[in-house]
Amino acid sequence: MEKNLAPPQDSNSFSRKDNNKAGHAGPESSQAVNVKSDSGGEAEVPSDSDMSLSQAVEEVDRLIQRLSSAKGGDHDHDHEPLPSEVPKSVDFLYNAVDSMVTKYEHKENPPRLGLNHNDDVLFFDSMNRISKLKNSFHRFPSDSVFASSLNKATIVVHRSMSFLEEEYRTILEICKRKIVLEQKTPKTPKQMASLGSDRCMLPEAECNEDDLEFPSFSAEAIATMSKISTVMIAVGYERECCLLYSALRRNAFNEELNELGFDNVSFDEVQRMQWESLELDIATWINAFKHCYVDLFSAERRLTGAVFPDHPSVSRNLYSDLAAAVIVRFLNFSDAVVMTKRSAEKLFKFLDIFETLRDLLPHIKDSNSYSSDCQEVLIDEVSQAKTRIGEAAASIFSELENSIKKDQGRTPVPSGQVHPLTRYTMNYLKYAIEYKDTLEQVFKQVQETEGYCGSTGLEPHKSNTLTTTAITGQDDGGSDKSPFSIQLMTVMDLLDANLDMKSKLYRDPALRYIFLMNNGRYILQKIKSTTEIRELMGPNWCRKRSSDLRQYHKNYQRETWSRVLQSMSPEGLMVNGKVVKPLLKERFKNFNSLFEEIHRTQSTWVVSDEQLQSELRVSISAVVIPAYRCFLGRFRQHLESGRQFEKYIKYQPEDIETFIEELFDGNPTSMQKRR
Amino acid sequence: MRAPEYQGSFLGRISIRRNQVMSMEGNHDQELEDLELFQRHIADRFADLLSPQLQTLSEESPSSTAADPLLSISWLRKLLDVFLCCEAEFKAMLIMGRDPSQITKPPLDRLIPEMLDRAVKALDICNAVTNGIETVRHCQKLAEIAVTALDQKPFGDGQVKRAKKALSSLMMAMVGEDKEGSNYSRSWSFGRRSGGAAANHKDRGHLHLRSHTWSISKNWSAAKQIQAMTANLQAPRGGEASGLPSPVYIMSTVIAFVMWTMVAAIPCQERNGLGMHFPVPKQLVWAQSMIALHEKIGEEWKKKEKKGSVGLLDEMQRLERSAQSLIEFADSFQFPAEEERVEEVASQVAEVAETCQKMADGLVPLQLQLREVFHRIVRSRTEILDVLDSTGKVSAPII
Repeated sequence: MEKNLAPPQDSNSFSRKDNNKAGHAGPESSQAVNVKSDSGGEAEVPSDSDMSLSQAVEEVDRLIQRLSSAKGGDHDHDHEPLPSEVPKSVDFLYNAVDSMVTKYEHKENPPRLGLNHNDDVLFFDSMNRISKLKNSFHRFPSDSVFASSLNKATIVVHRSMSFLEEEYRTILEICKRKIVLEQKTPKTPKQMASLGSDRCMLPEAECNEDDLEFPSFSAEAIATMSKISTVMIAVGYERECCLLYSALRRNAFNEELNELGFDNVSFDEVQRMQWESLELDIATWINAFKHCYVDLFSAERRLTGAVFPDHPSVSRNLYSDLAAAVIVRFLNFSDAVVMTKRSAEKLFKFLDIFETLRDLLPHIKDSNSYSSDCQEVLIDEVSQAKTRIGEAAASIFSELENSIKKDQGRTPVPSGQVHPLTRYTMNYLKYAIEYKDTLEQVFKQVQETEGYCGSTGLEPHKSNTLTTTAITGQDDGGSDKSPFSIQLMTVMDLLDANLDMKSKLYRDPALRYIFLMNNGRYILQKIKSTTEIRELMGPNWCRKRSSDLRQYHKNYQRETWSRVLQSMSPEGLMVNGKVVKPLLKERFKNFNSLFEEIHRTQSTWVVSDEQLQSELRVSISAVVIPAYRCFLGRFRQHLESGRQFEKYIKYQPEDIETFIEELFDGNPTSMQKRR
Repeated sequence: MRAPEYQGSFLGRISIRRNQVMSMEGNHDQELEDLELFQRHIADRFADLLSPQLQTLSEESPSSTAADPLLSISWLRKLLDVFLCCEAEFKAMLIMGRDPSQITKPPLDRLIPEMLDRAVKALDICNAVTNGIETVRHCQKLAEIAVTALDQKPFGDGQVKRAKKALSSLMMAMVGEDKEGSNYSRSWSFGRRSGGAAANHKDRGHLHLRSHTWSISKNWSAAKQIQAMTANLQAPRGGEASGLPSPVYIMSTVIAFVMWTMVAAIPCQERNGLGMHFPVPKQLVWAQSMIALHEKIGEEWKKKEKKGSVGLLDEMQRLERSAQSLIEFADSFQFPAEEERVEEVASQVAEVAETCQKMADGLVPLQLQLREVFHRIVRSRTEILDVLDSTGKVSAPII
């Protein structure tokens, strides 16, 4: 870095020592540039006296030193007396700088800095001299001998500053244009670095990944900008410098966001958008926002830091303002989305937004890139937006409870199958569980804010389903349950209650149990297959559900098969040691018709879970077949000899087994046809 | 401000009452009393906003050094305060402790969704005004450059040029405002040496860039939003005038008025046709001051609209006046400056500096307050929707 603010005593040798120290030394810089002093030609290099720039600079430095040791115009006699007129070297320096600017401006295309290193070094150093001189002059009254020279200084300074602004602006804009160009025809970094007159041509080149980075400035461009910022601030043009920088960076940043597909949409429009297109916009928003706070912000921070290396607070403010403007722009969109009508299909996108905001927060909180008040405001804004989207997500999730409650259809599902509500609820939960941690945070947050609102007593209406269920949910779980698992419990309890009600719509109690088993089984399978839900519900819950299922199974057995078993009872068949044949025939006929009837109805019933189906068949077989076999074995001999033997003993045990295998398949088969 | 005091007692009053009387019938008298109180508060608050201006007109000092001139930053902050107070009271009246079924009955089933729609539009306006405040701040910075340049004595040619460049950009920013939204790069580009075709081309690039970076959205118009906010605004008549439709109407009027005023004061995207039809019957007592303010601001707007104005913000008007005369000074400047001119200019510069200081002190709080208004509107809308939702839900126990 150049020592722009070096104290006067350091700056007596302008050309060599100073440059060496600053690390800019090239062999040429020791050559005194012979600028002849000629007050006449402004646009030309002065060509008269034999004074060299380095001599002039030395003299000017001495003058500055003398002026600075004199106090506010009082002649301090310990030092050399102030000069009675401004030395020629001062005018020489003015003219030299003026002609440097002219020379720069004559170059065809901006940026005109950075082409000749030594020219630039001379220019910046001379500017600093003039700036210091100007400040020294200012300390003397307006009618002093320095007034007119001061006036000239202001002219030279302003002209130089205007030129630098122009340069600054050009460099800042080149980055932008470069991106646009590269999308069509990529350039190599080298060609871009020599930001010369070939800038507008589109040479063929291979695509370089680094090239497309944002912000894409060459090291040279950044170095030049840093020199410009430093000198502008030193000369007192900090406002212009910051204004330009922030405006152009904002534009570039906004353009970059547009490239990422993120456009401003009004609240009004968002409310009227179709969900399908809003969904796409949300996805774009998430990508763009994440890209911003993960990559672009830190790149921007680095850039700003590099352009204002000596002014950390300036660069911090510039960066803060830019980042804040961008973040608020993003927050507007999420706020607008939150306000759309809530519906179940939006839950997951809302949770995505919540996660995006949640992940943003540490980027702001843990960063030292922001000015403190800006940081505070941003944290507050982001937290509020996060709270809102979280509340919306929680309320959508609790809407599931309402949709379960509202499902009051009076028509039973045919064949006792899994009810659509069960499928819907369980699938919903299965997807929701992928967001388990996020939902956990969401409900925790809701619990906290509701607690807060409750204490202020401002929102008595907020005691909606959320809080009430949270209380009931705690009964069976104990207080260590997480907010989301309480929600989950509530949903499951509601679903159970609803299914229980629906099961009563079946007139056949056996079918009722099949329905309960089907649904119960479906629920249990879903929960067991999803580790997260299983863990949330806990082992007790699963055990309880399994035993419920077993109970349904028993009840079904009882309802359906106890009559069949009774029909095979040997009781009363023997009178005085002899079989009463008509009674026996009656028993067989009774069994046949009972079994046929059961087969007819229950083969239309559906148990879609294969395991459950086979369990049912096995358990039925285990009860019915041995009993039949036994009954048959004991009594067949009494009928075998008679006529119409087959009318009574229609089925062999193997047949029964086959028929049992046909139950719960949903196929209305007749036993007669099959035979 | 006295407002918070009001608010506390009003809210307290309503909440106590509502806790006592939870039944939906039989408290009509109290409702009426609440409404009356609400209307009185509205009238008082807007009278306060109107009065300082009257004082400066009637009293001897025409230089209007009154604390908060109409449409100054501090006055706008008071306006937003008033809005926040009214809003809190309104919400208390509408939903606190109330049986939700009451606000879903006709005509409220129409009026409330309409009001919520206005709220959404108001949010866009809040954002547009927030963007506009950025423009104002930009102008402030340009003015500060001029102050810095002209603060140094003696005036040198360079300083005067510097001041002029900044002030010209300022004027440019003010004039070109409505066409492109706030336009940093373009306004700043004023005063640069034009490099011929290439430079022009570049400028066009900015314009294009500008138009889609700072807008609320493409084709969004502040004026149209304001019109939409007032289009279906109708004073309740007959029996409705003593019931809930009345506060809904009052609050809708307040929000429309406040948003309209903000848009008139602060540069905003598309303000053509802002001259607002303000459909408030003159006989309504509570609206008297608001109507008077509307007329006053409306007249100002008419005067400035033709010129293509940056807005009626008092500070900006002051800057505009000072900038014009300082530019004249700069145009005729020759070194060394004459004593008289120097003093004259110095006092003008001091005035600009004072205005800049007001802006520096007031703009950030104004912006934060606007954000508060924004958040409040969002929150209230959610709360009202929650109440509406709760009536739509089936909470019947399952048999």
